[in-house]
Amino acid sequence: MMLDGLRRLGILGINRRNISYTIRCNARRHYPLVDDKLATKRLCERAGIPVPRLLAVARHHFEMRGLLPALESCDSFVLKPARGAMGNGILVVYGSGQKRFVCAGGREVSHDEFLYHASGIISGLYSLAGHMDAAMVEERLQVDVSMADLAPAGVPDIRVIVYRGVPVMAMMRLPTRRSGGRANLHQGAIGVGIDLVTGISNHAVVHSTPIRENPDSGEELVARKIPRFGRVLEIAVAAADETGLGYLGADVVIDAHQGPMILELNARPGLAIQLANGAGLRPRLESVDARLGPLRKNGERYLLSEDRLALGLEIADRAKRDARRRPSPWGSGSR
Amino acid sequence: MSRSVAGTGAVLIALGLAVFLAKTLVYEIPLAPTKSLGSWQVELRINVRGEGRRGSVRALLPATGTGQAVFDERSSSDRLDFSIRSTEEARIGVWTGWLEDLHEIVYGFRVQIHNVAISLPAGEIPEPPESVRRKYGQPTPDFPSTTPEVADLLEGLRLPNPLDVAGRIRTVYSFVSHEIATVPSAGKDALLTLAQREGSPEGKERLLVTLLRASGVPARNLRGLELRDGIDPYARIWSEAYAGGNWLPMSTVDDFFAERPPNRVVLGEAASPLVEATGVRAVGHRYRSMHEYLRPEEIADMLAPSNPTLAWLSLYRLPLPSQSSLRVLLLLPIGALFIALFRNVIGIPTYGTFMPVLIALALSGFSLGFGLALVAFVLFLGVLARLGLERLRLLMVPRLSILLCLVVLTVMGLALVGRGNESREWFAGLVLPIVILTMLVERFSITIAEEGFREALVRAACSVLVAVAIYPFFRSERAEYLMFTFPEIVVSLMGFLVLIGGYTGYRVSDLLRFRGFAQQLLGVGGR
Repeated sequence: MMLDGLRRLGILGINRRNISYTIRCNARRHYPLVDDKLATKRLCERAGIPVPRLLAVARHHFEMRGLLPALESCDSFVLKPARGAMGNGILVVYGSGQKRFVCAGGREVSHDEFLYHASGIISGLYSLAGHMDAAMVEERLQVDVSMADLAPAGVPDIRVIVYRGVPVMAMMRLPTRRSGGRANLHQGAIGVGIDLVTGISNHAVVHSTPIRENPDSGEELVARKIPRFGRVLEIAVAAADETGLGYLGADVVIDAHQGPMILELNARPGLAIQLANGAGLRPRLESVDARLGPLRKNGERYLLSEDRLALGLEIADRAKRDARRRPSPWGSGSR
Repeated sequence: MSRSVAGTGAVLIALGLAVFLAKTLVYEIPLAPTKSLGSWQVELRINVRGEGRRGSVRALLPATGTGQAVFDERSSSDRLDFSIRSTEEARIGVWTGWLEDLHEIVYGFRVQIHNVAISLPAGEIPEPPESVRRKYGQPTPDFPSTTPEVADLLEGLRLPNPLDVAGRIRTVYSFVSHEIATVPSAGKDALLTLAQREGSPEGKERLLVTLLRASGVPARNLRGLELRDGIDPYARIWSEAYAGGNWLPMSTVDDFFAERPPNRVVLGEAASPLVEATGVRAVGHRYRSMHEYLRPEEIADMLAPSNPTLAWLSLYRLPLPSQSSLRVLLLLPIGALFIALFRNVIGIPTYGTFMPVLIALALSGFSLGFGLALVAFVLFLGVLARLGLERLRLLMVPRLSILLCLVVLTVMGLALVGRGNESREWFAGLVLPIVILTMLVERFSITIAEEGFREALVRAACSVLVAVAIYPFFRSERAEYLMFTFPEIVVSLMGFLVLIGGYTGYRVSDLLRFRGFAQQLLGVGGR
């Protein structure tokens, strides 16, 4: 019963995501490009895709001394591991004072503590497999006002799933107090589904529970227009094209002054986006395959990026109409 | 699932199954261990450092006799000649040759032991034959049965009349058993043991034989091994008294009388040492033993199956250390299958891929309750230490190393606390588990720091849960036997792993995660 329900909704499970999408479409040799944020940044910069400015890097413990002088002139920035996962090990600095930094929640961090944190990053404390890592510092983005209102507890971003260069689903991820300021859904951040065609939010969940308002601020979450959403999809597709990955999640932050920017890319994007959108991924992924034909090896480019963008919107639009037509009970009827 | 995946999986499963079926149906290899109580495999390893001249090494070898049947004897030694000298008292293996540098001698045998229980003769019994009396009734330097001290003591014991042999044996036995203390460090001289009222096991047994001979009962000391599951055998000495045509086994140290426990193998009379050598600079030896799964006739089938390929493939001919490692190693694929099931079909998060298998392996030496307590203890200790170290702000690798040092110190502390009875095995069994669990600690404490105590606890609980699911297999003799006797099962397991690897369906965790969502979207409170 349950199985049949999930199947009819076209919910993508982890095994199928791995076998049919990530393993099939994402060549292992491309992974370093997205697992290492420094590599992603270089890649995007070369292709003219906007990314947050890099302020300083320390790849070894002896390079840490250079961090503080490099940051003297900036008063707000973000320290993060280049190979971190799930928002672990990120330290956001909002201002600086006498030999100390002010962090999220007004917490003060001395320069020593800051360097200790960086040393933990370099030792690989937060990296995927505990390997040596680089500590990177980049500019702190000023989140666009209309989005900042939605998430007082942290930086909201937009996750776009791009399959074979076609954007298929998007959601906004709003950090909450419960998620500790992190934008990960499994840590308690809010997932807000976005209609690809209109750029308007249509559904919101915490874990798998639907909500209408942000529990932190009481702000209405549904029927909000995402600013410059077209541009968000555009750079997500452009970044996907650069990496050569067939199935990826692009995380985009909308800066008040510089517009949408790629924050990071993910070769194994999670499945919670389906909860946020109230829709399964499979019908859309299969539509893409139906339109583009069988997957070819080596740098497939079937359509111009504008055409793929349009295709994504068309597929999403049809999925939306199909969902409305869906016979409600668990009985007969097919997708 | 793609067709090639399904095909590969099916072929592998069929392949393993075919060999398995052939072995069970055609060659009739039993499916389950029959494990008759006293079936053992014993191996003696002697290491000799020669002096660069001819020399010899001698060892007591077991013989088929009352209560034990010895078979499948084999010996290997580099550049030495091997011969067996059989006398009435003992069978002695002799390795001779030019002894230079290091030599390793391996001698192995299988033995089927029966419980020996002899009822004490009642009433008057025939005199022992002259030959026995001459050989085992006379005083010797080891058994000074005619000294005044012994005579005085027997007077005091007020033995029953000479015709009541059973009564005399009992009286003497209970005197040595109750009045003489066992002190491992004490001497082995019979008279000294009597005078001090304490002696080493050998001293007590010598005194027993001396007193028996003095009271007119022929008696002797025997040397042998006490075989135990999972640990090296102990060298033991016990006694036998001759009454009514039988030799009555007894030990005042290990407390048996008129019977011999079914885990003792007799090597010979105590006059010869277990191992001795001439023309060498140093000699050392070690016994190992392993409980067998099968009855002797079944083992014989395994050793020499009718099919030459099977004979060549039989793991039962390997040296003992390889056999015991393989018994454990061959269980790992079962653990791996479980991990794949739990992670890819059910979707339970665990620490590391094979961490639960390692945990299960670590716990397999203990009862479940003790094992879980051990996990909790090591985790607690590790987290406590890590919290303490957090303040010092150390780099990661030295910090982990400090954690390891602390664990080593803890193991040392446990060894000190646990010294005393049986501590040797207890301790040896503890080292590996603790090292394995240390690896768990770091992951556990990092998860606490990053994702909170709750998440860390959930994941640790899941890892332990999977480990507990695997644990029974690591404890099961039947599983061990099956995998060791039919290693082709591993090929079938690989087939199942291919199938799991190609499974694109939902995981149970997917179902749970999207359940509410599906119900709400489809507008039904699905049952």
